[in-house]
Amino acid sequence: MSRRYDSRTTIFSPEGRLYQVEYALEAISHAGTALGILAKDGIVLAAEKKVTSKLLEQDTSAEKLYILNDNMICAVAGMTADANILINYARRAAQNYLYTYNEDIPCEQLVKRLCDLKQGYTQHGGLRPFGVSFIYAGYDSHRQFQLYQSNPSGNYGGWKATSVGANNASAQALLKQDYKEDCTLQEACATAVKILSKTMDSTTLTSEKIEFATVGKTESGEIYHHLWTADEITALLKEHKLGKEEDPEQDS
Amino acid sequence: MAHGIMDGTDGWGTGGCLSRLSDSGREVLLGITGKDFTIIAASKAAVRGITILKAEDDKTRALNQHTLMAYSGEAGDTVQFAEYIQANVALYGMRTNLTQELSPPAVANFVRNQLATSLRSRNAKHVNLLIGGFDPVKKTPHLYWMDYLAAKAEVPYAAHGYAAYYCLSILDKHHHPDIDLEKGKELLKMCIGELRHRMPIEFKGMRVKVVSAEGITELEEF
Amino acid sequence: MSSPFSINGGACVAMVGKDCVAIGCDLRLGNQALTISNTFPKIFNYGQTYLGLTGLATDVLTVSDLFRYKVNMYRLREERDIEPETMANLVSSSLYEKRFGPYFVSPVIAGLNSRTGKPFICGFDSIGCIDFAKDFIVSGTASDQLFGTCESFWEPDLGPEELFETISQSLLNSVDRDALSGWGAEVYVITKDGVTKRLLKGRQD
Repeated sequence: MSRRYDSRTTIFSPEGRLYQVEYALEAISHAGTALGILAKDGIVLAAEKKVTSKLLEQDTSAEKLYILNDNMICAVAGMTADANILINYARRAAQNYLYTYNEDIPCEQLVKRLCDLKQGYTQHGGLRPFGVSFIYAGYDSHRQFQLYQSNPSGNYGGWKATSVGANNASAQALLKQDYKEDCTLQEACATAVKILSKTMDSTTLTSEKIEFATVGKTESGEIYHHLWTADEITALLKEHKLGKEEDPEQDS
Repeated sequence: MAHGIMDGTDGWGTGGCLSRLSDSGREVLLGITGKDFTIIAASKAAVRGITILKAEDDKTRALNQHTLMAYSGEAGDTVQFAEYIQANVALYGMRTNLTQELSPPAVANFVRNQLATSLRSRNAKHVNLLIGGFDPVKKTPHLYWMDYLAAKAEVPYAAHGYAAYYCLSILDKHHHPDIDLEKGKELLKMCIGELRHRMPIEFKGMRVKVVSAEGITELEEF
Repeated sequence: MSSPFSINGGACVAMVGKDCVAIGCDLRLGNQALTISNTFPKIFNYGQTYLGLTGLATDVLTVSDLFRYKVNMYRLREERDIEPETMANLVSSSLYEKRFGPYFVSPVIAGLNSRTGKPFICGFDSIGCIDFAKDFIVSGTASDQLFGTCESFWEPDLGPEELFETISQSLLNSVDRDALSGWGAEVYVITKDGVTKRLLKGRQD
């Protein structure tokens, strides 16, 4: 039945669905989990990196978390190749705004710009939609710290805590359970790493399997974003006793 | 050749370019900032050559709630450019559901970008500007001086045209960053007095507007 | 009509020291002989690389914003700051793009290579021809005067403090002899341990 309708992104099925968009969402639900938590003094993004082979170079740059501009970062779930196109587009849009107004682009405007592009691929013929969902974390003077999520249809929304990718239903349920209003960034990091440890397939977490990033304010009031190093992630795992057991011989 | 009056034989002996420059030099634009306000003043005479066409002209446009732009320059270019900017800043407001307006510095930078782009096009707009504003979030006054080349500077007080030669020295001596509105008006009266006294140009008085936290208001006492 | 390079006025100078570099500029923005502002800096930093721009004020603003755009994109792509040598080639190619309708600016670059720590300075003409130098680079309406003061004050292997004194004296004594420059100055001294920025009051006439 669906054969006649699902090969074209621009055509609704008789039930009023856009199959290509749903297939894109399906593709994303197999990608590594990514989640974001909004705290009162910052935002944490965390993502699961699927290690496909031991031979894969591990010390290269982040593959799930990207910097968009001076006060915004994002987490990606889905096809990395598609994400690269969109991230480059978002970075250009942010720099164009900075060039025109000499101010950083408000978070929602940047999310909207990206979603307008995504939406185009669900309406104009011949091309498939982008197979990526994003979680955005950012700051602007109008609405302080903000967390957004967008998907291949071009829909977006603001969240207090959210997740995308594999097991996102269970991650979402855990977030709902564990989220505390007015939590600190430190508490949010703890929640993020605990939820990730429950939703991931592997039993032990290591810095090779996850990526972490935070947006916050320094003591002097400046906004910073920070992609965590392997050592910082290991320290966090150790603090919450989620890393693999240290060899007692090596310790002494 | 369809040169006509622009070929330098129009009796002014200067060619089109210089005569239009002297027109804009005779228009008076003044700006003064204080503790919690920015005053923008513009002469009320609309001049063309040696003729005053109008004595109640308004050479300002409100760009949004807290930003006001005064302009001088070539007739036609000025109003066209100002209204183009006004419409685009209004469009920005609509796109954000009027929840976020552009701050005065952002407006000034946008205007500069448009003017700088125009400068390198085939028909450059000849417009000099003062942009006055008050940032309602940070509670700071702003005043930007910009010439037709799109050179922009944020300044505590500014003037365009011949008026600059008479007024800047007065403002150098008497201006202070945290003056109140009364002192601001007093300074403006000193400037206008000096123009009336020394400048051999009839400018038909000044239209004066104040931008503050409350928005833009016109002062009728001038 | 006077040259676009001398409508607004302004001066900039960069100098090499021992494991350090310095760059300084005046603060005047004028309209012919009339001074509009005395808070118009002409040095912009892009990570650890500093760019000085003199010439037509509108192009100083346009070009500095343009390079902020380009260098921000470079930093996001490469995930590191731009090196001064790379910046020099970026400036050169960007200016030459406008070969037949140039930006009326004379840029100056100063910085330390983050890997080798080697001091780097260079200057450009308005269409991007690079002028590499081992000692100093001057630009702006006071460039003739700056050539003179730098030739007599500069010597090799100056430490950061001596270099600051040398560049400041060269700059101030040059702009005092130029009607279109002055009204205060800004000097950056760049060492591997950090950057110090100093404001010089200068003559306000």
